[in-house]
Amino acid sequence: MSTMPVYSTLEGNLMQITVNGEPAQIQQSPFPVEAALRHFKVEQPDMVSVQVNGSFIERPAFSTTLLSEGDELDFLYFMGGGSR
Amino acid sequence: MNGFTTRAVHGPKLRKDPLGALRPPLYESVAFEFDSAEDIEDAFTGKKPGHTYSRITNPTVEELEQRIRLLTYANGVIAVSSGMAAIADTVMSLAEPGSNIVTSEHLFSHTLSLFTSTLGPWGLHTRFADMTNPFSVKEKIDENTRLIFLETITNPQLEVADVAAIVEVAKEFNIPVVVDGTMTTPYLFSSKQAGAAVEIISSTKFLSGGATTVGGLIIDNGTFDWSNAPTLIDFTKKFGSNAFLARLRKEVYRNLGSCLSPHNAWLQILGIETLALRVSKCCQNALTLAQFLASREEVVHVNYPGLSSSPSHITASRQLSHGFGGILTFDLGSKEAAYRCINNLRLIRRATNLNDNKTLIIHPASTIFHEFSPERRERMGITEGLIRLSVGIEESDDLLHDISQGLETP
Repeated sequence: MSTMPVYSTLEGNLMQITVNGEPAQIQQSPFPVEAALRHFKVEQPDMVSVQVNGSFIERPAFSTTLLSEGDELDFLYFMGGGSR
Repeated sequence: MNGFTTRAVHGPKLRKDPLGALRPPLYESVAFEFDSAEDIEDAFTGKKPGHTYSRITNPTVEELEQRIRLLTYANGVIAVSSGMAAIADTVMSLAEPGSNIVTSEHLFSHTLSLFTSTLGPWGLHTRFADMTNPFSVKEKIDENTRLIFLETITNPQLEVADVAAIVEVAKEFNIPVVVDGTMTTPYLFSSKQAGAAVEIISSTKFLSGGATTVGGLIIDNGTFDWSNAPTLIDFTKKFGSNAFLARLRKEVYRNLGSCLSPHNAWLQILGIETLALRVSKCCQNALTLAQFLASREEVVHVNYPGLSSSPSHITASRQLSHGFGGILTFDLGSKEAAYRCINNLRLIRRATNLNDNKTLIIHPASTIFHEFSPERRERMGITEGLIRLSVGIEESDDLLHDISQGLETP
């Protein structure tokens, strides 16, 4: 996966996470999973399973699950395919 | 976009067509190209969406799946090669050798054969219960029961069980209810509202829009916690509420090769656009014919859930919307009388299928249930004089005329 764009231009207001194994930077908390789907331009977000630090996150919890420094965020397409 | 037909016609608009075509294209392609080795790796490992091989996913089949998902408000849908493939894939995903399922003897004969003759030697135990009696169902459940299976309207007994009552029983044991909704379709019955975990549909029937193509659908309604399914423990850890769909797509459906052809998917997309219109007409015609047959002296018995004489009428009235289905049966007392009527018909076609646009007629005992012994057929309510009509969309006067001369001609 290519390097993700920095979300905020404010110096020191960023935190490091990994996305599908690749390093990335996002704005400091509060940064919910739902915002991460938009920020990383995840295609077909309703066809994606989301794990944070190896734990599956249910869809209703996307807006309330907040990411923290060092979190491992994984997007997995459980249907095995989708539009490009 | 709330209306059923509005959703069916317009679909979810997955992607904008590059040429502005209103109808989705037919992608008759086995394989798909990627821009880099990294891209194809991401598609195989599930990090990016992408079609790799049409046995696994295909853009046209995806369009059909997403239209059905929009119509049913399901968690997800997988389109497969036939209704039987849908049943087989579902049961093999949720059960394992040594486990059991609880179902009714009132099932399509091939489904019965799948459970007992094909999956029996594999190690599946099938327990039979009266689905119209929730206590009968409860008595058959134990710690090895993996699912309850029933048809929303049974073929050909036309029995309608209270699905919500069966779901309540299943909840006590944390097991999913799988319904075969072929005879009702999402237009007449919402399996999600009733609480069923999975709905199977043979899209060959009503959905194909005129018996054009064979196909099947597995619909995960999102109403069941898959962490309670012993066969999905590992998949639940990784995919949560999508565990059942993930196991199908990444293992059972994929390995059994149950894929639907893109050509069939394209035609079935066309078919579902007129589903509500055709189902409504079939239901109106079926009721008209049932009422006519009930008035005839030659007819020993008529069975149709829309008639107040049907044992399932009350449950069907509560559970179904817009009609009571397109199938009815009537008994002429003997095989000879049944054959004479069938052979006299000039419009209605002598063919096996359900929910074609044309009205079809068949003698169940000598055809779709001929593999069963006379004693077992009698127990299943399939008499020698029984005739099954799959009512189509013709003008009702034409159908009444044909049936009349079928009954009257010596």
